[in-house]
Amino acid sequence: MLQFEIKKVFTKFKNKMALLFLLVTLIAVSMLTINRVEYIDENGGRSVGISAARSLRAEKNKWAGYLTKNALQQAAEEHAAIVNSEGALSNDTREQDLAYSRQQGISTIVEIINSAFSEWRDYNYYAIDGISIEDASNIYERRVSNLKKWLDSGEETFSKAQKDFLISQYESLKTPFYYEYTDGWSALLQNISTFILILALFIGFFVSGIFSDEFQLRADSIFFSSRLGRNRAILSKMGAGFSIVTAFYAVFILLHTAIVLLVLGADGANCPIQLDLWRSVYNITFFQAYLLIITGGYVGTLFAAILSMLVSAATRSTATATIVPFIILCAFPFLSRILTLPQICAFFPDQLLEIYISVKEFNLVQFGGKVMNVVTVITPAYLAACLLLLPVLYRIFKKAEVK
Amino acid sequence: MKLELENLTKKFGNFTAVDHVKITMTNGVYGLLGVNGAGKTTLMRMLCTLLKPTGGTIVCDGKNIFEMDGEYRRLLGYLPQEFGFYPEFTVRDYLFYVASLKGICPAIAKKRVRELIAKVGLSNAANKKMKKLSGGMKRRAGIAQAMLNNPKILILDEPTAGLDPNERIRFRNLISELSEERLVLLSTHIVSDIEYIANEIWLMKGGRLLRTGTADEIINSMPEKVWQCFVEKNMVSDFMRKYKISNMKSEPNGVELRIISNEKPLAQAQSVKASLEDVFLYYFEEKAGDENAAV
Repeated sequence: MLQFEIKKVFTKFKNKMALLFLLVTLIAVSMLTINRVEYIDENGGRSVGISAARSLRAEKNKWAGYLTKNALQQAAEEHAAIVNSEGALSNDTREQDLAYSRQQGISTIVEIINSAFSEWRDYNYYAIDGISIEDASNIYERRVSNLKKWLDSGEETFSKAQKDFLISQYESLKTPFYYEYTDGWSALLQNISTFILILALFIGFFVSGIFSDEFQLRADSIFFSSRLGRNRAILSKMGAGFSIVTAFYAVFILLHTAIVLLVLGADGANCPIQLDLWRSVYNITFFQAYLLIITGGYVGTLFAAILSMLVSAATRSTATATIVPFIILCAFPFLSRILTLPQICAFFPDQLLEIYISVKEFNLVQFGGKVMNVVTVITPAYLAACLLLLPVLYRIFKKAEVK
Repeated sequence: MKLELENLTKKFGNFTAVDHVKITMTNGVYGLLGVNGAGKTTLMRMLCTLLKPTGGTIVCDGKNIFEMDGEYRRLLGYLPQEFGFYPEFTVRDYLFYVASLKGICPAIAKKRVRELIAKVGLSNAANKKMKKLSGGMKRRAGIAQAMLNNPKILILDEPTAGLDPNERIRFRNLISELSEERLVLLSTHIVSDIEYIANEIWLMKGGRLLRTGTADEIINSMPEKVWQCFVEKNMVSDFMRKYKISNMKSEPNGVELRIISNEKPLAQAQSVKASLEDVFLYYFEEKAGDENAAV
């Protein structure tokens, strides 16, 4: 029965077209992600994609290893040598570009030193130029002290428990960081949310007719008058919805990940996310951040799909059900911009598809004295909501009358 | 198999579609005859558990069918008036899908689908998409799905509506063939369908059963007589105002009328045996059937 329910979905012409469009989107988004990685060669030529990734990886991996005080000082020295080189000081922009292209191997290290020595809210591209070589080795202490300074400044509204949580997370981050080429993961994580959103909308579109099509095709009479029409056949429809969500999500996310990482390289999976998101309160690696993002995305997609199926069963209209994922995933972000209530907006379902932003920002929730990152709350909360909606969906369709 | 309808009522707001219907059915073919809007489909939908009654009960061998749930639907085969299907499915896929809805195990389903496709004459169209079938072929696929579980109760709502004369005859014969040892309820507004195959006829009007019985009993229940006479064309409108005309046949030199009346409408009028068509007209005050019903 399950296979027929899935077959019903994918024999529809509009769904076949949507699937084709989704494949085109996969290729387009993957290409855009791949093109984020750039490399400037010794002649000043700019390249993107697989050759750029290969060259950049070679440059960065020359510096691979733990970013100890010594390593940080060496990177700062290298930076100083580059910026004081003849080419960098020349008036010829091409010469300048060539000089700075030698910095590509240490660009991430320079960025985290800049972050450590910038004002809390303003990233200073030249902060490294204003500090001594010795100071450059103090980035880990600066990270914690900068946070404490900011928390004491009164510019924010965190509770005492939240402040303690943030400081504790910062202090417990394992240092020194392990450094290597991470640009493949970095590009993937920065762009994957967009792809998850598109995927969620398409999946919502696929499942929106699972229940309502029975009414729209006038096949409801035979469906409900059959022996299993008011029990196992409904479970089968729900199973079809779940299978489509899970299979499509898994296949397309894996395809996107595989395309991007095969081209850009998967090195740096175990490096801390702070190499990319310096202020992140999540003490996780790039790979763990990836898992967090795709798990959140899956729960968000599942939630939107279940609501779409619920509306499909209740309204008997596929068109109405198709709109639901758009409302959940596209209208809520708009609402978040209007509402100046971050405590509420942080719980909107669209946040599940924006885990990268949550990892980057300080999105905290507090229950009594317990403080947690919002991601660790909304992901299980929406998963629970999905589980609670399933019996509602079942009952709505079971009680349907054919008038 | 015994199906008892006890004061069965269905209301939609203030409108009463089925009004205190009380009847018992056992094996045999029951013909439910009534004009459009008489409540036939609503009654059938309640019998198929698609609608819950506002009042009264439907009892199958002593058990309420809504409490029996799937156990009752296991006995049921239903061909709705508006037969919906999945346009991209082939006939075979469609039947396999309905077989799975009916909880028939795949091995038995395979055998039943093969048998029924042959029985309804769709062997050459088994791999055709449902959307490519003609109206008659779709109806045959519809009857095949209804028969998949070899139902003890077969409910057919307007099964011959819209079919051409050949398909109608073919379909009628098929229903007769399938009706052995089961309870068949057949609704139609086409008298000839019922006349040929029903053991018992129910006349339904305004949600109520007006008359029940065999074709002869129903015909004999009509308190008025049927007359046949030949009149000039310019007199037809006068007769139409004064009498119920069950048939008119134009001839070169006049019109042959079939009149339902207690009194003799014309000196030369001849009394003839009433037909079910006459009864239909008498009770429903409109002509039975659609354009193909003459067959």
